[in-house]
Amino acid sequence: MTQSVWGPVRQEMSDLLQSHPDDVPAVVDQLTKLQDILGRVPPLLQENPLCDFNKLYLTITESVLERLYGGKFADPAFLSRLDVEFAARYFDALRAWAGPDESPRCPRVWAGLFQRIPGPDCRPLPAACAGVNAHINFDLPFALVTTFDHLGSDPIDDSDQHHDYLQINEIFAEAIPGLRRGYLDKWQLLIDTMNGRLDDWWQGEAVDYTRNVAWRNAQKLWGMRHDMSATDKERAHLDRIASDLGKLLLSPLGEFLQ
Amino acid sequence: MASDEGDDGPLVGRTDTLADVQSDLRNVGPGGTSAVFVTGESGVGKSRLLRETARAMGDAGYSVLSGTCLDIGDASPLHPVLQALRQYEPDLQQWDQTAGADALLDRVSRELRTVAGDKHLLLVLDDLQWADRSTRQLLLYLLAGLGGIRLSVLAAVRAEALHGAHPLRRVLAELRRLRSVKVVDLAPLDREQTSELVNAIAGDGIEPEDSDRVYKRSGGNPFVVEELARDLRDGRVELSDTLREIFLSRVDELPPHAHAVVHAIAAGVEPVDHTILAKVTKLAEDELLEAIRAAVAHRFVASAADGYRLRHRLVAEILETEVLPAEAAALHRRYAEAMEAAGTVDHARLAHHWQKAGEPARALPSVVAAARSAEKLYGFTEAHRYWSLALDLTTESAPERTELLAHAAETAHQCGEHQRALDRLSELARRPDAPSECALHLLRARYLAAAGRSATAEVEYELALRSPDCTPQQRVSAAANLAELLLHLGRYADAYARATEALDQAAGNGSTRDLVRASAALGFSSAFREDPDAGLAVIRHAVEIAERSGHPDDLGVAYLHLAELLAGPLNSPEEGVLVARRGAERLASLGAGRTYQTRLLAIAGNGLFRIGQWAEADAVLETAMRHRPSGADAVELLLARCRLWVGFGDVDAAQRDLDAVATLLAGGGARHVLPMLTLRAGLAMWQGRHAQARAAVQRGLTETRSDDLVLLGVLAWHGLRAEAEARAAGEPVDPGAIRRLKTVVGRMAEGVGRAATPVRAVIDGYIDLCNAEISRVEERHDPDPWQRAATAWDRRNQPYPAAYARLRRAEAALTRKSRKPAAVLALREAYATTTAMGARPLTAEIVSTAQRFRVQLADDIDTVEMTVPGEDDGLSVLTQREREVLAAVAEGLTNREIGERLFISERTVGVHVGHIFDKLQVRTRVQASRVYLTAA
Repeated sequence: MTQSVWGPVRQEMSDLLQSHPDDVPAVVDQLTKLQDILGRVPPLLQENPLCDFNKLYLTITESVLERLYGGKFADPAFLSRLDVEFAARYFDALRAWAGPDESPRCPRVWAGLFQRIPGPDCRPLPAACAGVNAHINFDLPFALVTTFDHLGSDPIDDSDQHHDYLQINEIFAEAIPGLRRGYLDKWQLLIDTMNGRLDDWWQGEAVDYTRNVAWRNAQKLWGMRHDMSATDKERAHLDRIASDLGKLLLSPLGEFLQ
Repeated sequence: MASDEGDDGPLVGRTDTLADVQSDLRNVGPGGTSAVFVTGESGVGKSRLLRETARAMGDAGYSVLSGTCLDIGDASPLHPVLQALRQYEPDLQQWDQTAGADALLDRVSRELRTVAGDKHLLLVLDDLQWADRSTRQLLLYLLAGLGGIRLSVLAAVRAEALHGAHPLRRVLAELRRLRSVKVVDLAPLDREQTSELVNAIAGDGIEPEDSDRVYKRSGGNPFVVEELARDLRDGRVELSDTLREIFLSRVDELPPHAHAVVHAIAAGVEPVDHTILAKVTKLAEDELLEAIRAAVAHRFVASAADGYRLRHRLVAEILETEVLPAEAAALHRRYAEAMEAAGTVDHARLAHHWQKAGEPARALPSVVAAARSAEKLYGFTEAHRYWSLALDLTTESAPERTELLAHAAETAHQCGEHQRALDRLSELARRPDAPSECALHLLRARYLAAAGRSATAEVEYELALRSPDCTPQQRVSAAANLAELLLHLGRYADAYARATEALDQAAGNGSTRDLVRASAALGFSSAFREDPDAGLAVIRHAVEIAERSGHPDDLGVAYLHLAELLAGPLNSPEEGVLVARRGAERLASLGAGRTYQTRLLAIAGNGLFRIGQWAEADAVLETAMRHRPSGADAVELLLARCRLWVGFGDVDAAQRDLDAVATLLAGGGARHVLPMLTLRAGLAMWQGRHAQARAAVQRGLTETRSDDLVLLGVLAWHGLRAEAEARAAGEPVDPGAIRRLKTVVGRMAEGVGRAATPVRAVIDGYIDLCNAEISRVEERHDPDPWQRAATAWDRRNQPYPAAYARLRRAEAALTRKSRKPAAVLALREAYATTTAMGARPLTAEIVSTAQRFRVQLADDIDTVEMTVPGEDDGLSVLTQREREVLAAVAEGLTNREIGERLFISERTVGVHVGHIFDKLQVRTRVQASRVYLTAA
């Protein structure tokens, strides 16, 4: 492990990542502690792009927890497991990060965001969105498959689990005020500047369906989950697409989303 | 990937890991098992670490068994473990004559026990990422201690596999929380270690820049480092940078025959048998031997007693991309032909080769055979994959497709792939020779119900009832199943109507099974509709019918329903226990229905717990455990037993069973998580660990459905009690948690009116307890809510929570200094109840409360000198049965003699002795006897 990636908070970071939260309250706790640590990574401190994402993610997870306590989900066991498994992948990526070219196990899409921690600075909204992109477009489908597999059910449209899952979209919409109409048009423009590969994947749907894209990808992965090499290929494919989109978000072009 | 021992390079940078792994494996948990999972990328040295550890542990007196999982996609169930066992018993007979999944796991355990003898067993499994589902379940079963084997598992998992959506990812995430399980991540070597390894192989005097270059190229991967270091030693100039090029250039240097051998083994499934290899390479014996020798000399191939392997799977993966598709197909064809000629029974392998040979038609028979043998081993996941594969291999026009579709749908349903099951069914419906419309509706309804889509399932049952080709039997079956579904949905009136319909038509038409099912639905719906006597009569009648048929399944189901009805909605636990035990005995006399016996005994155990006959409950659960249940049945029994330990205050035993439950649940499922969390909270409270109890309850609350008021009630009570105990102990309470718990209590109060009567009584009981705990958190010292709770639980025939409420009632009154005589009475009553049950921690609390307020608990007891039960002698950690065993041990009896005296099996005695040793922290019988004699 290279010592310099996290600078002065290196030890705290590695201590924190030793624990593996196993319920949603513990995930919230971990994200809260992470927020504090990330805010102390020089030189950008609280302005660093990962801090922007983590803050958004923390807010969203807190809302999920509140709804769980409020009994708002039809299948809370499913949603809790999903939330834990989903977060575990973000923590895994952080654990694997040891600097550019030193992190073979860190997904490219996350590496793209992590390497911007020291700068150059980018605007908070696109930075947060780059993290959301990595987390939803890359991590989420796998987290879904793992959760369904573990609970012994499968991703069926219109099921209780599907409805619970879609509820999270509302939480996202509340947490990112920009993720509403006006923002969506800009987002679509951004997508249009990309070449066909993204179009295929996007299938012409707007952003509030991003998570539905993840659901559909999960269904696709579900069918091939026993085939390790096919799953690996799909994983590399999703990583590639998502990191292209991430690069765009973190480029000067992404700033016009703000 | 095993290679010849002694042919390994020096082991660098792993000394500490090796020592840690060994000590972790020795460090067994409360269940007598331990596990270490080694993860890391390909070539990082996992197999080597396994080998070295196995050798060291073997030398240290462990019995070692090793197996490797196969990467042929569809291995046969339990492959690696059966493979390991065959090393000891080469003629291990076919494994498909067992009755039920429990019996199969039991049998594998028995074989493992035989191999282990009186040693501790080390099971080494390489490439666990390729393990089939059955193997994973077996591992969890063994690690949970259900196999009755003192066992350590050492397994290697490729790190790459854990990143995607591999099932092991969750399994390891859950297991790593146990103290007896470690996940070791094997990192590549760093620069210095690489240089050490290079020098060790190539000799000193290697230029630092050379070893630096090795580090850069290899990324510290020891396998590649070794190869590159040999190049340096041999003065070879290695120009290529990628692993692939490095190895391809070496393959090119092989003599032609050796080249052929390496390619052939790469295409095969390891280990490759010599005679098969001869047929595949088509080499004469002399040529073949020379070629193999050359391949071994060039360090490509390793030879062992059971056949040949490539030294590393990485090489096979590189070669795979190099071989022309036609070449590969030809090799696989030769493998398949050679195996067929040799009369193989390994359908999975044969299917693999035919398929890769591009001969789907020839693959089909072995695929179907593999599917059937997987079904016989209860490997429904594997069977489903074979049936699906068989479908991939046939065209639309093939006549056998209809049957294949039916099998594929049914196995998909069995292994929980509900959507797949439904898809297969739609395709089946389109076949010209499809089953009848009614049959299809019935199947669809069953699959939909299993997928939790009740509304659609209901529609399908109705369609089945209306379809013109519906036979009278099918009609009864549809109505009975529909009634059952409606019952689960809480629609008692509808369930009642459908069940009546089924029973009306059943005379002469229905199978006993459907008759029993309909009767049960009728009985339960009547009970819920406040006509319990009518319901009871119907189910009693069903038992009579089942008795007449004499079929174990019918009897099992009928007794189960009757016992559940009595113990649950009708609130007559004593009678429920009686029926459950009678049913279990009846089935035992038939020598059948092992699963039903287990379940009936679980009902009896739970009922006995409830009515406070804990010693009896202990005995019943012990008998049930002797049936060696697996899966959900095992989890339920362990939970029931753990609840008993928590009540007895046997912390170690409770912890052991909780760990066992957590181990089994690591394999998946959500249903039992909440009872587990409740017990965790209950145990933590006795240990004064309020934060732990709080965390378990909080997690439970986030994972409970908002309409499951009984579960919410249990959780909320535990949560509020934890806060109240924290307050009483002068520790901080969590206002956020209290606020949330109060919200939950509010939700219960709001929803209780909509619940059915029998359920309502239980929910009310918990609401009473919750409100009483709230008054305790708020330090109101109000005896009234506690009095209400005590009365409510008396009515439910549950002395334990009633005694608890009495204790608190007395405590509140005595603190207030009001109504003292009533308080003393309540305290004495509680004391009498808990001492009779053996509820030690609760008794201790009652005693300490009595001491605090100078209350005499009984006329003949001097309260001042009374010590807390459980700390009197050194033996209080033991259960009654364990004390009996220990007494016999102290007499110098052997396990067999003890077994004969106590009417238990010799093995059970062994388990007891193991527990006694654990609890008393001794290692020998002599030491244990000394503890006993000192205490006595």
